[in-house]
Amino acid sequence: MKYRKSFIATSVAMALGVGSVLATGASLAGEFDGVTLKVGTWGGSWKENIVNVIVPKFEAEGGTIEFVTGSPQANLAKLIAGRGKAPFDIMEILDAQIQDFRSAEFLQPLSLDAIPNKAHLEDWQVSDDTIGSWFTQETICYNKDKFAELGIEPPKTYSDLANPKLEGRLSIPDITSGGGLANFGAFAHAGGGDEANIQPGLDLVKSMNALKFWSRGGEVVTQFQSGDVYAAVVHAGWCVRAKNAGSNVTTVHPYINDQHTGVHKHGWLGIMKSSENAAAANWFINEYLDAGFQFEFATKSGVVPVNKEAIGRLSEDPVLDEMLQTSSEEISQQLRIDYSKADIADWTDQWNRSVAQ
Amino acid sequence: MKVRWELLLIPGFLITILLIVSSQYVFLQGSFHRDLGLGRLSEAMNLGNYFKFFSDTFYLNTLWITIKTSALATLSTILLGFPVAYLIARMRSRWAMILLAGVVVATFVTIVIKVFGLIIIFSADGWLNRFLLWVGFIDRPYTIIGNEVGVVVGLMHFTLGFGVLLLYSVIQTIPRSYEDAAQIHGASRWRVHWRIMLPLSLPGITVGALMIFNMSMGAFTSAALLGGGRVFTLPVLIQRTVMMEIKYAMAGTLAAVLLVSVILINLLSVYLLKRLKAARLVIA
Repeated sequence: MKYRKSFIATSVAMALGVGSVLATGASLAGEFDGVTLKVGTWGGSWKENIVNVIVPKFEAEGGTIEFVTGSPQANLAKLIAGRGKAPFDIMEILDAQIQDFRSAEFLQPLSLDAIPNKAHLEDWQVSDDTIGSWFTQETICYNKDKFAELGIEPPKTYSDLANPKLEGRLSIPDITSGGGLANFGAFAHAGGGDEANIQPGLDLVKSMNALKFWSRGGEVVTQFQSGDVYAAVVHAGWCVRAKNAGSNVTTVHPYINDQHTGVHKHGWLGIMKSSENAAAANWFINEYLDAGFQFEFATKSGVVPVNKEAIGRLSEDPVLDEMLQTSSEEISQQLRIDYSKADIADWTDQWNRSVAQ
Repeated sequence: MKVRWELLLIPGFLITILLIVSSQYVFLQGSFHRDLGLGRLSEAMNLGNYFKFFSDTFYLNTLWITIKTSALATLSTILLGFPVAYLIARMRSRWAMILLAGVVVATFVTIVIKVFGLIIIFSADGWLNRFLLWVGFIDRPYTIIGNEVGVVVGLMHFTLGFGVLLLYSVIQTIPRSYEDAAQIHGASRWRVHWRIMLPLSLPGITVGALMIFNMSMGAFTSAALLGGGRVFTLPVLIQRTVMMEIKYAMAGTLAAVLLVSVILINLLSVYLLKRLKAARLVIA
């Protein structure tokens, strides 16, 4: 009898225990239970930054994040090949591509109410279908020791890179690289042309006599390390990485013309029209714009945050403070290419014909 | 009842044909339309892209560079690979298997790693340039990045292991006794190679060379990385046309020209080999 009572009491206790665990579990159910969010972004350290910060938070909400890695150009090609049926829910987009995305109607409207971190951005960085996520400062990165050895003053303009002492020691972004279009547009402006008149830019590129047209920023880091190049046109982030890899390099924000010093390339996030995970995608965007992530991302990759709070903290990092322009006045003077005036296919065709051996 | 084992070939053959034909059909069919932007093609069919290709020196020069670098890479691979393959094939010790395994393993290394190895070796401050500068052979560092020499070296590096394996299998089919017999009758080593080995192995070398040439014509990574954005082969130009210009029809035209060029060069080579056989310059 005693045993029977004990057994019943234990059973009731266990049932209550299991019930309470289940109840607690139910109340802890994540916002995105069972959701798999697919993100189109770059691979390598870029993806790792997201994996380290945003993915654990999303997993805590019950979901998983998968990555479709590749350049925005490669991901756009996947989108076109899939006739708009994207293999991802959300994608990193370059400013040069936004017109294509809009004309092909690949994007769905953002739920801006679900993105409270938009309050930390400039107004022009927020639109109905895309939102600014970072920007780069396209610079001249040069090796201080080599320039001193050659007796060359630090460059101030792209034309300074045409110095015969730098022949074959210069690396310039290929038009297919991430910064290729922004920098080529800047060459056109610096040469006296503009988005619709690119010949001055082609002439300027030819005068520089580059060793190589790089297609991935990592190549520039290797070239500085191996001693192949003494200067490169590259965004400040790659110069930061070259410095961290042991090269004595720093950046110059080139004088373009009387209105502009420095070059600005913007990254955006957009949700694909074919996505069925819009809520999760908006959540992801909000986390991407979080000041903590933006600052962390900036220190590791060298890109500039769009979150003003994170921009304000950049001076905490001495290398970023040295290499980036952080005041709003400086940033506003940087050249932003107007891609609505650019014919990218024609730019690429002209570039190919001009640089081909 | 006789078992017809050859029927087992049919599924693999059909799958191969289906994959080749379907992928090539998409390119070929697209090449007869006009690009309307963002991958869209015109309804009407025409030969406009082909007229553009054959009337534009930029495209013709790209085709010429593709054929030239591939041919030079093929020649280099055969010249470098034949002695290695011969030595391994004629080696009597167990080192032969170890060396052969080394070649096989080397072919497994991804081309990106191989190319970066070349870039490091030929870097301005690399050991090769330092040595050449030290002995006074050159007065400034030599680079293989951004020129055709680099592309040829890269393509050769890409195909060398494969070439050695092909040539090894060719040489293995030639009995060693032929060489012994010639030497017993007083032929020098050089004469044995020139009169016995070369005629007997030429059909195999030709087939191997064509395979290496075909691989080189379609190779992208070596040409893209070592060409440094300056040397455009057709695969590099196709990639740029698809990714940057988003002109699928023109890219299809480039792909079709590449395919037809490769087929024509292969047919021409087979024809020439037959003529050589007819003239009894080749033993098959």
